[in-house]
Amino acid sequence: MLLKIVGSLIVLISSSLLGYMYSRRCSKRPSELRALQGYLQIFENEISFMSNVLKDAFSKIYMYDDSGVAAFFKGTVDALESDAGISAGEAWAKAVKENIKNTALNSEDEEIIISFGKMLGSSDVDGQIKNIRLTINQLKLQEQKAEELRAKNEAMYRNLGILGGLAIIIILF
Amino acid sequence: MAAKEDFVFNVEKVQSFEKDILRMICPPIRDVLKRIPLTELMTTEEIRLRANKPLMIQNDAGSFFVNSDGRLTTNRINLFYVSQEQIAKTLELISENSIYAFQDEIRNGFLTIRGGHRVGIVGRVVLNGDTVKNIKDVSGLNIRISREVAGCSSKVLKYIVTNEKHVYNTLIVSPPQCGKTTLLRDITRAISDGIDEMGFKGLKVGVIDERSEIAACYKGVPQNRVGTRTDVLDACPKQIGMVMMLRAMSPDVIVTDEIGNQGDKDALIQVFNAGVKVISTAHGYNISELKSRKEVLSLIEEKMFERYIVLSARKGPGTVEEIIDGTDMSILYKGE
Repeated sequence: MLLKIVGSLIVLISSSLLGYMYSRRCSKRPSELRALQGYLQIFENEISFMSNVLKDAFSKIYMYDDSGVAAFFKGTVDALESDAGISAGEAWAKAVKENIKNTALNSEDEEIIISFGKMLGSSDVDGQIKNIRLTINQLKLQEQKAEELRAKNEAMYRNLGILGGLAIIIILF
Repeated sequence: MAAKEDFVFNVEKVQSFEKDILRMICPPIRDVLKRIPLTELMTTEEIRLRANKPLMIQNDAGSFFVNSDGRLTTNRINLFYVSQEQIAKTLELISENSIYAFQDEIRNGFLTIRGGHRVGIVGRVVLNGDTVKNIKDVSGLNIRISREVAGCSSKVLKYIVTNEKHVYNTLIVSPPQCGKTTLLRDITRAISDGIDEMGFKGLKVGVIDERSEIAACYKGVPQNRVGTRTDVLDACPKQIGMVMMLRAMSPDVIVTDEIGNQGDKDALIQVFNAGVKVISTAHGYNISELKSRKEVLSLIEEKMFERYIVLSARKGPGTVEEIIDGTDMSILYKGE
């Protein structure tokens, strides 16, 4: 009897944890999209007011934080430093593709982020700022969508975890 | 061919050449340049890249083609040709993938890279009304290597220093490629540090470095030796800069490069009125030719400069042709 109770407790805890993890992932994506918008805003200030070159501006961004989406900026700088033949856009695309699996961002987000690199560094300040604003706007839309998804799914995953665990216990008891 | 002299180049110089210049050039051209013997490479004054034309190098012995083995030659066999994509790539490297940060400089037709080396750009100009907006389809680059020649001003210093506290308002006149900026930089260093042999104490010097060539600032910090008592306003237009420096840093001497534009005179008068001395340079072959330029003529006629130093490249860059007293136009020194 005791063994049964302990076993069912373990099932309950692990399934709720699983549900909790999934719900965490739902809330991670909007926060990462928000962080990325913030970093792009820093980048805009760096180039319009400080007129810093790309590498310096990017280094400043990942100095604050080098986890999650900031890894894109670090990866770009690393790629530019190690390979002289690479353009800024290529370096950005490479860094995004390498690091996106460590984030909660989906392929739609990835497309927007990579397309930001196409104009990176290759036009005047106005062009750069327009590119940044466009990307921020697109990310904002993604963030809204992700937020809706989160509201819908966060609670569902959590409940699903707990109720699923209970269901298994009832079936097996 | 350049004379093979037994120069011993110190490692530091070779390293900074590699870091500041070679790293800025796209890999295929860089590989060819690296094959050039070190003695010849280190005396290079200009590296010229033109689309679909052979790579060329200018040094004190003249201009040479570079062939695919990295030899400097004057015959046209087996030469290394530069493509337009390579030029575009080089420009990308020079601007560190950040054209936006250099757009004002590109508009003027050149940009200055770390180490104070100037890169000239030609291509198709994009206009916005009357002003140049951009240069696209770049077809030629000229990398002019600036050199610090410590002590090159020792000959002229005694003509521009009055006593242990003062210097004369001085204008260095020379055609391009004769060492104007090099001389100006060394004078700056000497005046700022003081000259022991002459009992000259050293003055506060304010450098307005519009093209970042005198002090060669990198991230605001001078890379060239311009003296201990020197403040540098980097990349600032001369006219605004002179007034800013005057108000902000209380300099004894203001140093600036290549005056002669409209409006420079007003700023100069303001500086002179404040009792601050000016050392500057101007393009020209000699004084009489300089007078043909309207803006400079009025400076000469009003005797604003007390010393003129005329340079030429007759015996190599930096040959002092004559030194003239600006107050009565008498010749103080004449090179033979």
